Amino acid sequence: MPKIGVPRALLYYKYFPLWKTFFEGLGAEVVVSPPTNKRILNLGTETAESEACLPVKVFYGHALALKGEVDALFVPRVVSVEGKAYTCPKFLGLPDMIKALDDDLPPVLGTTFNLRQGWRRFFASIYELGSHLTRNPLKILRAFYNGARELKIFDQKLREGSLVPEALGETDFKNLANPTLTIGVVGHPYNIFDSYVSMNLVKRLHRRGAKVLTPEMVPPEAIEESISSLPKSLFWTYEKDVVGAIFYWLENNMVNGIIYMISFACGPDSLIQVLVEQEARKISPVPLMPLVIDEHSGEAGLVTRLEAFLDMIDRKRARVH
Amino acid sequence: MEGYLGVDVGSVSTNLVIMDEKDDLLAYVYRRTMGQPIVAVQEGLKELEEKLPASVEVRGAGTTGSARYLSGVIAGADIVKNEITAHAVAASHVVPDAQTVLEIGGQDSKLIIIREGVVVDFAMNTVCAAGTGSFLDHQAARLGIPIEEFGSYALKSKSAAQIAGRCTVFAESDMIHKQQIGYRLEDIIYGLCQALVRNYLNNLAKGKEILSPVVFQGGVAANLGIRRAFGEALESEIVVPEYYHVMGAIGAALLAKEAVEGRTAPSNFKGFSAAEIKYETSSFHCKGCSNNCEIVKIEVGGRVLARWGGRCGKWEVEQVEEAVAGPI
Repeated sequence: MPKIGVPRALLYYKYFPLWKTFFEGLGAEVVVSPPTNKRILNLGTETAESEACLPVKVFYGHALALKGEVDALFVPRVVSVEGKAYTCPKFLGLPDMIKALDDDLPPVLGTTFNLRQGWRRFFASIYELGSHLTRNPLKILRAFYNGARELKIFDQKLREGSLVPEALGETDFKNLANPTLTIGVVGHPYNIFDSYVSMNLVKRLHRRGAKVLTPEMVPPEAIEESISSLPKSLFWTYEKDVVGAIFYWLENNMVNGIIYMISFACGPDSLIQVLVEQEARKISPVPLMPLVIDEHSGEAGLVTRLEAFLDMIDRKRARVH
Repeated sequence: MEGYLGVDVGSVSTNLVIMDEKDDLLAYVYRRTMGQPIVAVQEGLKELEEKLPASVEVRGAGTTGSARYLSGVIAGADIVKNEITAHAVAASHVVPDAQTVLEIGGQDSKLIIIREGVVVDFAMNTVCAAGTGSFLDHQAARLGIPIEEFGSYALKSKSAAQIAGRCTVFAESDMIHKQQIGYRLEDIIYGLCQALVRNYLNNLAKGKEILSPVVFQGGVAANLGIRRAFGEALESEIVVPEYYHVMGAIGAALLAKEAVEGRTAPSNFKGFSAAEIKYETSSFHCKGCSNNCEIVKIEVGGRVLARWGGRCGKWEVEQVEEAVAGPI
């Protein structure tokens, strides 16, 4: 049985149930790299070019961690996942960046997915990817449909309030049942739910009695509607989710505070952060705090900010009562 | 007489205060941490005790600053609070209608926005510590001027030199260059103050509504040049509290009083004799997984008081006083 390696990074947190079902449906074994740890992070930062953002460096680490373990690495080139918006430019170059990393890496399955070019081209990509494992187009189609169904179940779980790791099967990642406050956490799921990278942000919030809401829980229609007030449509799909979720929570008074986790050197986020800070204030006085993370992982700084942020909310509420 | 102890241990200075039951300052100690927070707290306690009337009984203790968890163990804290909350509480106490707090310490800077007595927004310097106290110390030493007099030079400046404040390394090159082409020292120093203030406002104040009264505190508030530059940049009067340099400790003491209010159990405070206890600290790398976390351990006579630094809960000490259970 061929082994296909999936780095536990970037779009893993968005589409893994689809990928797993698809490859397994074609008779492959799917091997995921272990959760990020110091070794993986160091592997990534040592090999990546310095201008890469933290999550791309982490991706490198995960790809390298699979060296010698698998027959092929799955690193798709995800250009666009909806008609009129793109993903981050770094995702566009990902398979090439990985191929250039290390000559001893397993071959890279780097199929391009670009919904901008319509569904026909998209299915051609699915077929191209599947044909590495079978010649039977029907089998590929069936594997894709099964995968799409799994993804739908996954998305549904998220919409109903599960956190990403929980929906991916991590049982100890339940949201709080009896929270004393609700905090919206926005940013890329590959930062927030990589416990090593985010320095356990979500669990720290749980420990302080906060329930965590994430953009994945907001229905796509609500996101679209919330951002329709912006004078210009947003260029990037995943940033759209961030902005839309923030507006939606604020408009419906659903959170006591919002934390926006940003990785240092993230291009899209550096623009969106400013937009969000300006626009959110017009909607509601609910506090919003950007938290910038990088590979030097200064935990003390994160803890101080987090404590101050939660204290601020607590003291404000105590004053009102 | 009842007193409440506040301890603020930062990268550069260690400050201790005792506030009385009417929230007035009874005594304070300001000393350099010198990279030895435990010694600084213990020596500070000794010094503080000497300054106090014998009748003062400490009913509560609070710690803050970057070494707040460590000093919480050493002194025996009833509450351990982050610097933002402590500084805001102190500023609102000293200047009850304060709306903006500028705080610049040894290695970080904060901007706190207060409305009707509560913090509504704040910012801390993120990836760069340009313009904090350590840099000013360094430049004063390089120019051979005692740091205490550094600011008064700036007041003599009539036409400030333009210094690049984006990065302290570049600021230093720029200063050297300006010296070499003949600028007056006071104009260079004031130019530097302006650059640091510009950098502070660009980093922290973007999009924030800065309203008067503006309170400026932290060690750097001693610097007359920085005060002048803030006043000019914000076009506002800058209020510097009398005890601007120990405001974090004042906040910690006020928070300690709040924490023990209505409580019947005695304070966790170990007494001024804590200065005599021999604390041992050590660290090791946990080999439990590939994270290799560095675990720090504080012991007294073989008994482990606290342990932190791990990413999982494995090394946490059971039965430590709740307030000093370590960071969340």
